[in-house]
Amino acid sequence: MISDKLKKAILTELKLDDFTIEDATMANQIPGWDSLNHINVITAIEKDYGLRFKAIEVLKCKNIGDLQKLIDSKQNK
Amino acid sequence: MTEKTIWQVWTENAERNPESDAIIHWKAGEDPFRWTKKSLLATALKFSYLLKQNGIKRDQVCAIIIRHNPMFYPLYMGIVGLGAIPAVLAYPNPRLHPDKFRQGIIGMSQRSGLDYIFTEKELEPIISPLIQSSTIKGLHFPLEWDQSAEIPQADLEEIELARREIKPSDPILLQHSSGTTGLQKPVLLSHSAVIRHVEYYSESINLTAEDKIVSWLPLYHDMGLIAAYHLPLAYGIPTVQIDPFEWVIAPVLQLEAISAEKATLCWLPNFAYNMLADKVFDDELEGVSLASMRMIINCSEPVRAESHRRFIERFTQYKLNPLSLATCYAMAETTFGVTQSAPGEVPKQVYADREMLKQGKLKLVDDPTNARVCVSSGKVIKGCDVRIVGDKRETLPSDTFGEIAIKSVSMFDGYRNYPEKTAEVLEDGWYYSGDYGFVLDGECYVIGRKKDIIIVAGKNIYPEDVEDTVSQVEGVLPGRVIAFGTDDEALGTEVVCVIAESNITDEKEKKELRMRILQATLANDETVGRVYIVPSRWLIKSSAGKPSRKANRERIDEHKEYLVV
Repeated sequence: MISDKLKKAILTELKLDDFTIEDATMANQIPGWDSLNHINVITAIEKDYGLRFKAIEVLKCKNIGDLQKLIDSKQNK
Repeated sequence: MTEKTIWQVWTENAERNPESDAIIHWKAGEDPFRWTKKSLLATALKFSYLLKQNGIKRDQVCAIIIRHNPMFYPLYMGIVGLGAIPAVLAYPNPRLHPDKFRQGIIGMSQRSGLDYIFTEKELEPIISPLIQSSTIKGLHFPLEWDQSAEIPQADLEEIELARREIKPSDPILLQHSSGTTGLQKPVLLSHSAVIRHVEYYSESINLTAEDKIVSWLPLYHDMGLIAAYHLPLAYGIPTVQIDPFEWVIAPVLQLEAISAEKATLCWLPNFAYNMLADKVFDDELEGVSLASMRMIINCSEPVRAESHRRFIERFTQYKLNPLSLATCYAMAETTFGVTQSAPGEVPKQVYADREMLKQGKLKLVDDPTNARVCVSSGKVIKGCDVRIVGDKRETLPSDTFGEIAIKSVSMFDGYRNYPEKTAEVLEDGWYYSGDYGFVLDGECYVIGRKKDIIIVAGKNIYPEDVEDTVSQVEGVLPGRVIAFGTDDEALGTEVVCVIAESNITDEKEKKELRMRILQATLANDETVGRVYIVPSRWLIKSSAGKPSRKANRERIDEHKEYLVV
């Protein structure tokens, strides 16, 4: 399940008031999340959580649910 | 070299250096897949056989819609080897609505006469309905084909016989130049046009057998297909191919590949310089060296000086040679390159008065304040000629601001099945590019374009397409919309802006309308960066009664209060 914190980080970076984000939501289904903005969104999430992702870790994420799992796994380390 | 076919050139290269690398297929987190010249050609021959078994014949147009896959390359070559014509099409982005994707394919099939589509199983439900309603005769899934069977001698002889009948003047490939949805312009190129271009363009960049190319550029685009695929295959040097979808998520992949493979050359659109400079962090670059790079060629119109400056500043510590940054001006209609800056030299720059440029006039100034930095795209390459023309296509003094007209020995023969569009741009052997620029001391500067086309990260977006979509959004007054592009210096590219008339006045409802506009354009794979909601009758109309893009674009600059965020 997508946490409010992750959802907020994404929506804030993309300047969206609200948008439904579920586990199966893919990045490119979210308005504004395109190739140019991708790294800005990832950087914003990293900043909010105080984490750093490796490029290969992000590449393996097929949807926002995977991204949430990646965050959770890093926080539990 | 020009009196041969491409297959002959590939064969000679494979015979000369059979075990040397031809294509290094790069995949994040995996060992690269390496095609030698011999193994690549042998697999291409196998594909020619399998294509023949599936009824593919000479001169038939074979569209390839396949994601980054090592089998793409021999499939493409196998089509060429049979005398059929490959046409690489973009794999649909998941956000693109299937109807929009189908609409694009139908449009292409009408113009290009697409005969077959070679794709992945996943796209079958989306594409198969088109077989009844377009020129497309069949759908094939070549990644599923069994490669293990030997080619029977009789078939081998038939293929070789058919191949011997291919003439250098015959078409080798079909590319789609830009156009509004469903109206992309098919560019057909001959074997000799491509071979001649490889020969002349190679001279302009001092290409040698020691060079190695790294590219993430999509192969449905001329920069990727000609510069980073056909050129190395024909010249006999290796090319490292990175997945474009992976690159946008992890641009560091390109730097890793350069470093690991000691690559020497790449071509990039302008935004990629910003992306690499701003979005790759030091902790990802441990051990990376760019010392091997001889030329990093910016192929955008226009080239932005600031993007080069940032790139140099960022990567000098990773042994980037600042003199490796180069420029070129290229288009599908001339196979690829028209001009190229000299290897090992900083591309020239001049300052042009901004206000005068807005009026379509060129006034060079010494003071950079209120001036636009114009970066040269280099000198005209061998086999090409350039002149600057006015509105009536009359030749202007070259140092005057005007449209760039081009003559090339590697010119296309016109858009396939599109005589009216060909007549618009081709006259007496000159191609009228629609790009604006000037020539100074033999250096070509490309600084604008005639049409309102918006180029976002190398992708052409037509304002008409955006306006049509936004017009249908609930809350927008139909037909009362304009779209235009504006420079975003931080991104090194343009962003799409929309001004839409609406009767909505409530701020919360305006935000909801903005969201509907973003979602509607998203389904067309277009990202709108800025939305302005203006009251009814706000947009200025042109004499034809339609909202004027130019006038309203200037007007909105004074009315930022309408921007909805």
